[in-house]
Amino acid sequence: MSRTITIEPVTRIEGHARITLQLGDQGEVEDARFHLTQFRGFEKFCEGRPYREMPALTARTCGICPVSHVLASNKACDHLLSVTIPPTAEKLRRIMNLAQITQSHALSFFHLSSPDLLLGWDSDPATRNIFGVMRQDPALAKDGIRLRQIGQMIIEILAGKKIHPTWVVPGGVAEALTQEKREAILKLLPEGLEIAKRTYGFFKTLVPKFKDETSHFGTRPTMFMSLVTPKGNLEHYDGFLRIKDAQGRIVEDMVPTVDYQRLVGEAVEDFSYMKFPYYKPMGYPKGVYRVGPLARLNNAEACGTPYADVALAEFHMLQEYGPITSSFHYHYARLVEIIFAIEMMERLLKDPDILDHRVRARARSNRDEGIGVSEAPRGTLMHHYRIDDDGLITWVNLIIATGHNNLAMNQAIRQVADAYVDGNHLQEGMLNRVEAVIRCYDPCLSCASHAFGQMPLLIELKDAAGQVVDRLTRG
Amino acid sequence: MIQHKTLIIGYGSPIRGDDAIGPLAADALAAGPLPAGVNVISRHILTAELVEDILGADRVIFLDATVDGEPGEVRVRSLAPDASAMSTMAHFLDPRELLAWSQTLYQHEPEAYLVSAAGAFFEYSNYTLTPAAAAALEPMIERVRELIATN
Repeated sequence: MSRTITIEPVTRIEGHARITLQLGDQGEVEDARFHLTQFRGFEKFCEGRPYREMPALTARTCGICPVSHVLASNKACDHLLSVTIPPTAEKLRRIMNLAQITQSHALSFFHLSSPDLLLGWDSDPATRNIFGVMRQDPALAKDGIRLRQIGQMIIEILAGKKIHPTWVVPGGVAEALTQEKREAILKLLPEGLEIAKRTYGFFKTLVPKFKDETSHFGTRPTMFMSLVTPKGNLEHYDGFLRIKDAQGRIVEDMVPTVDYQRLVGEAVEDFSYMKFPYYKPMGYPKGVYRVGPLARLNNAEACGTPYADVALAEFHMLQEYGPITSSFHYHYARLVEIIFAIEMMERLLKDPDILDHRVRARARSNRDEGIGVSEAPRGTLMHHYRIDDDGLITWVNLIIATGHNNLAMNQAIRQVADAYVDGNHLQEGMLNRVEAVIRCYDPCLSCASHAFGQMPLLIELKDAAGQVVDRLTRG
Repeated sequence: MIQHKTLIIGYGSPIRGDDAIGPLAADALAAGPLPAGVNVISRHILTAELVEDILGADRVIFLDATVDGEPGEVRVRSLAPDASAMSTMAHFLDPRELLAWSQTLYQHEPEAYLVSAAGAFFEYSNYTLTPAAAAALEPMIERVRELIATN
């Protein structure tokens, strides 16, 4: 008899989601799906608003990664103005983006994934959480808090406000950097780099323990998409789109971001509110690709900073040849990127032009369509607006990093479920691995609000008639 | 008289109607005269690094909206650290969880309160408070001032 396992909500991710596993007569997994169960309609309710409101509006998409939306949105507005922003403004925006990547990656690694990595997938779910990590390795937990705080403090020093900064504006940034602020940020970086290097060194020793998970966590072939610099190096703010195939061959390169629609199509499915982007030339659903830290490192020829380049070389050694395929290595890639982000922030801050007062180009709207693309912590973020003659928004398209990864995440949970789930003998550890592969992607489904109270996790196995035949609770 | 170091944290989404009352109350408090030793923070959500701010305080007052109660009703309750109050959407924290982080990692357990106002409307893309919630703003601030005045 056919049965379905439902995991709801998926824990330690951003937002509300559900996983369902459809079982066949023998208890084997026949299908696996990742459902986004929240609908918020940002693209629709932005219509009719002045385009200059878009950075502030879209920043509210998420309380965790507003900076990423602020940057992509302002880039779309720059495009509407038809301006090239001053070089110093670009460097300042880059610093803010790198600070955002630092704090976001720290949250993902230290607070959301470390319980699995440190305590084990099969450990007691009652203690497999951040408090378990605090008890087992308090220094690691403190490092996580501090690294996240350093990223947030840099954003606050730059923007004056940690959440939803309004310092980035269409045409550049609102205020130049002062010498005092530069020194304040520079003072934070050595400690951040030490934490990043220490954590990276520690994680390298852990990786060999996860051979089994590495070989089952999303290793099925996909392409990889990211921004790269004109030289093909690691890029987070601007540059060009590159796509590599599963064998590592470059199939698209130096594609201007305004041409993203030539590469990316968007499909919808009735089981999820999240769109399913795909590589257009290959069609849906064959055109599956991944974005984010793993894709960025797979696509980059080099990072361009000393320690990060050493780490990148070690990253490539995780596999004998070709791009690193296991989504388990998103964790590794995040740590490499934190090192890069801190090194690059220091380099930018020491640039002689960084205190230049020319930080904003002023113009009215000079075209009716604007596209802004940057790399958010979780991957390529695309904002695309159309406006009328009065500068009011008539159409919006947002493709967020988690959306790009949607097909790959569905593919990955199927693979993990095939490897670990025995429908005749349900065990919490099996299902935790199904959740854990989703956490590798650090999906941001955007909570945007908060709840006061506890939401326990309930996992139910139902038969085709909807009768509960097995039940596990957690939390 | 002992001078308390008080941290006020108002949190809530600014685009979900009455959910914004926490940060709005915090902003109003920050704009007015405050006794020495009082710091005010406004946030969309509670996140891990706020533990570092809590370490510097011996009294923490959280300001939040709630769905419980008659719209506009203001309540004060004391909070204790609670590691079991974990959010499954782990990018944000419950205030009791945040206090438990402080207690577990740093053995720091400040006196803590939640001052809440019941809201009526929490849908997305709403930038104003309902009249009931707006009317609760001043009483909420008054309750905070009373707590601050307590030694």
